[in-house]
Amino acid sequence: MANIFVIPSWFLNYGMLFELAFAIITLVVGLFAFRIYKLSEQKSAKLFGISFIFISLHYFLQSFLNFSTLSKINQNICDIMKISDINSLNIMGAYSHMFFFLIGLTTLVYMTLKIENKTAYALLLTLPLAAIVFATNKLYLFYAMASILLIFISIHYLKNYLKNKQVKTLFILIAFIFLLFGNLHFLVSVNHGIYYVIGHFLELIAYILILLNFILVLKNDKKKK
Amino acid sequence: MTKKRNRLQVIRDILSTINKKNGEIKPTHILYKSNLSHHMMEEYLTELISKKFIKKTIERKGTTYSITKKGKDYLDQYKLIISFTESFGLD
Repeated sequence: MANIFVIPSWFLNYGMLFELAFAIITLVVGLFAFRIYKLSEQKSAKLFGISFIFISLHYFLQSFLNFSTLSKINQNICDIMKISDINSLNIMGAYSHMFFFLIGLTTLVYMTLKIENKTAYALLLTLPLAAIVFATNKLYLFYAMASILLIFISIHYLKNYLKNKQVKTLFILIAFIFLLFGNLHFLVSVNHGIYYVIGHFLELIAYILILLNFILVLKNDKKKK
Repeated sequence: MTKKRNRLQVIRDILSTINKKNGEIKPTHILYKSNLSHHMMEEYLTELISKKFIKKTIERKGTTYSITKKGKDYLDQYKLIISFTESFGLD
């Protein structure tokens, strides 16, 4: 599988930390969405929670894969899991991290469509995943697919902002636009390492905005009590 | 012109109407207080029963609806629910 990034060596450690931070933020927001679902029984909250948990798994795995490559512990993992070579482990990891992200984004798109149809959800999930499996350049296709899904999500949040003009809704709109631009930078980063770094910084801004939004929700709740 | 209520707000209005009446109410009171058509009210009541927010009791005197603990939790945490759903575009 063609999976080579031109990552500047000085950024490897920072990138790993960034991904770990994104994983924690998305995990916290995802778990909180499940709490809202438990209280309100609102299906969109459940779908949002599932989506963020998958996105979190994607970042945890990405961070772990980078860590294992850097620290060379992947050989030990191969020994424990009885996998013949490191390359197989890396391919498994890369597939899982792409799948987790696409499942997360597709679930979020499905939530924005406001339909209740399991077949439609299954179809939405199958198409990008199957495309990745059969594609020659999986990484390009992965970022292209993720960008398309993020365009749909950004349009939803633009409509949400126009319907409900608040700082919180503006934050979430900007966050998803930054995620979209971050992804577009990853798309071109296969040849230019600096775009990989820019992509991470754009993602950092996006997740800081999501975190700020989450803090505002909690703060408002405390104030009202 | 007042803004159209969303689903979460309608549910809050029905639950708080039941809660104000010592947690038990007749359907006609809900209809009067919740400002909904009969058809819509029936739809919401069925949804609230399936979500275990309210309980339906049929007696000789007629049908009454009472609020459950889950329904009370919804009312307590309503501000948080609405704030989260609005902010993250879930409504």
